[in-house]
Amino acid sequence: MLRRFRLEEPQSVGEVSELLGRFGDSAKLYAGGTELLLAMKEGLVHYERLVNVKGVQGLNEVKQDNGTIRIGALCTHHQLENAPALKQNLPAFVKLEENVANVRVRQVGTIGGNICFAEPHADPGTLLIALGASLIAAKSDSTREITAESFFVDAYETALQPDEVLTEIVIPVPVKPSGVCYMKFGYLERPSVGVAIALNMNSEKNKIDDVRIAVGCAGPAPKRVPEAETLLRDKPIDEVTRNLAQAGEVAARAAQAISDLHGAQDYKEHIVQVLLKRSFQNALSQC
Amino acid sequence: MSKTMLKRSDVQTLPISFTLNGKLQELDVEPHELLLDVVRDRLGLTGVKRSCDVQVCGACTLLVDGRPVSACTTLAFEVRGRSVLTIEGLADDGKLHPLQEAFIEHGGFQCGFCTPGMILASKALLDENPNPSEEELKHFMHGNICRCTGYKKIIESIMAAAKKMAS
Amino acid sequence: MQFEKKIEIEAPKQKVWNFIWDVDRFIACVPGCKEAKTIEEGKRYSAIMVEKVGPFKVEFPTTIEVLERDELSRIKAQASGADNKIGSRMKLDLEVKLSGEGDRSTLEFVAGVDILGKLAALGHGIIKRKADQVLDEFAHSVKRQLEGDS
Repeated sequence: MLRRFRLEEPQSVGEVSELLGRFGDSAKLYAGGTELLLAMKEGLVHYERLVNVKGVQGLNEVKQDNGTIRIGALCTHHQLENAPALKQNLPAFVKLEENVANVRVRQVGTIGGNICFAEPHADPGTLLIALGASLIAAKSDSTREITAESFFVDAYETALQPDEVLTEIVIPVPVKPSGVCYMKFGYLERPSVGVAIALNMNSEKNKIDDVRIAVGCAGPAPKRVPEAETLLRDKPIDEVTRNLAQAGEVAARAAQAISDLHGAQDYKEHIVQVLLKRSFQNALSQC
Repeated sequence: MSKTMLKRSDVQTLPISFTLNGKLQELDVEPHELLLDVVRDRLGLTGVKRSCDVQVCGACTLLVDGRPVSACTTLAFEVRGRSVLTIEGLADDGKLHPLQEAFIEHGGFQCGFCTPGMILASKALLDENPNPSEEELKHFMHGNICRCTGYKKIIESIMAAAKKMAS
Repeated sequence: MQFEKKIEIEAPKQKVWNFIWDVDRFIACVPGCKEAKTIEEGKRYSAIMVEKVGPFKVEFPTTIEVLERDELSRIKAQASGADNKIGSRMKLDLEVKLSGEGDRSTLEFVAGVDILGKLAALGHGIIKRKADQVLDEFAHSVKRQLEGDS
């Protein structure tokens, strides 16, 4: 049983923001509730008010705008697995969404809720960082753009201000020849290690022009690993292949893995290295 | 002196109407009431089970607008204006649904605790994909857990039902 | 969970020792700790520990018992608390070792922390990281306090 709370049902982003600002810590944004309601059932948190953001129109669409895909924060994982624009342009993202939790969570859970709850073992954040995505945060009278790589601050903590509402996720469509891959590993309900890579090659396909690498699930928040990218960026393919192992080691250390029920620190770091190598090879084969 | 239920005037209730197994239901619910509790305790349909209570096991699966949800982690007011299907609503006037028949014929259950959720989830699967491969079936059914059968008979039951429903 | 922290302080041993027993100043160095009270001088103390991880907040009213005391060198203490609102308990075994010569001292903390109950569901890893942060901030706060005023 949940403790009693009041339901607020605003109709606009401005109203949502105003309510969050007014009631502060005693109110919480509620979308799919797949994380929030669990925490509330456990008694770990309590709110006097839940602000049902699902009444706000226009936040659950997937739009393609030339080289950019815009995903509404209220899109469910189920919607995203089936979105034509994503299937065509970001199949790696579709694969990630298909494998979030289980079919029931995917049915009601939203991408916005997933990102904003910032649960350490979540999947989407890691790939969004590798894709160079941005998040649009709105208040009553303003919006701002936050890069995915600066959005995830710590476990359960994002860069959002208390009265800000995530409205959209903006993803630049990779320019070919390109490869994008997300791989995760785990045997508990939530994944223990996640690695994402996005790379571009030159037109002759013998050089890695650009690469972005992110690791997640093993540490408190997903992180970009620029030091690993440097080893692979702007280099011919042979050199990249030679540097891959070292890039894996760098990424493993950057993962901030700690020993817990999901595995020992060195075990997780090892998995990061394995997944980096495999996801790189997968991304390369897409080019 | 009779005992009266006193409701504080500031307790928020939401009037909701929805179809339950094809019939219109009208109820007042408080925002914090869970769908699982409303269906089991207020509406008396106990086929849906509370098992893990953290939406990983699937024993609380209900179909809302034909799609599977975890009733243990769904607020009751969310079904307003929608259609809800429980296991009790699957048989058509006493005639078992092909899935129910297949589970019986192929031994798809033992203790039966996971079964209402299994069958409803299978229905949602076959409604979406009438001819799933075993891979597709396993992926869809991944969130429904069974402690008894080892899953083999469940897969056989669903595949058999799919075949029957397609013809 | 086990933690160890060692800090070098530019202050003589006696000053550090006195500081430890100055409950209000000492407790002020523990992040999230408030309302420190002396129940029995040198033996029992109480305080409230408040910690936050994202939206999750805990408030542990805590009792601290001094088990062993070796003048100017060692303290062994035990602390326990419970947050009944969220059904969690905290247990801390702490050993403080002080050594040094002249104007410099070394303070060493060895802590064993157990979190029981619902909070443990948050993840052993998160709690460990948080506890490590708290101990780190505490050690540096003590150092600053002692080196700050002369």
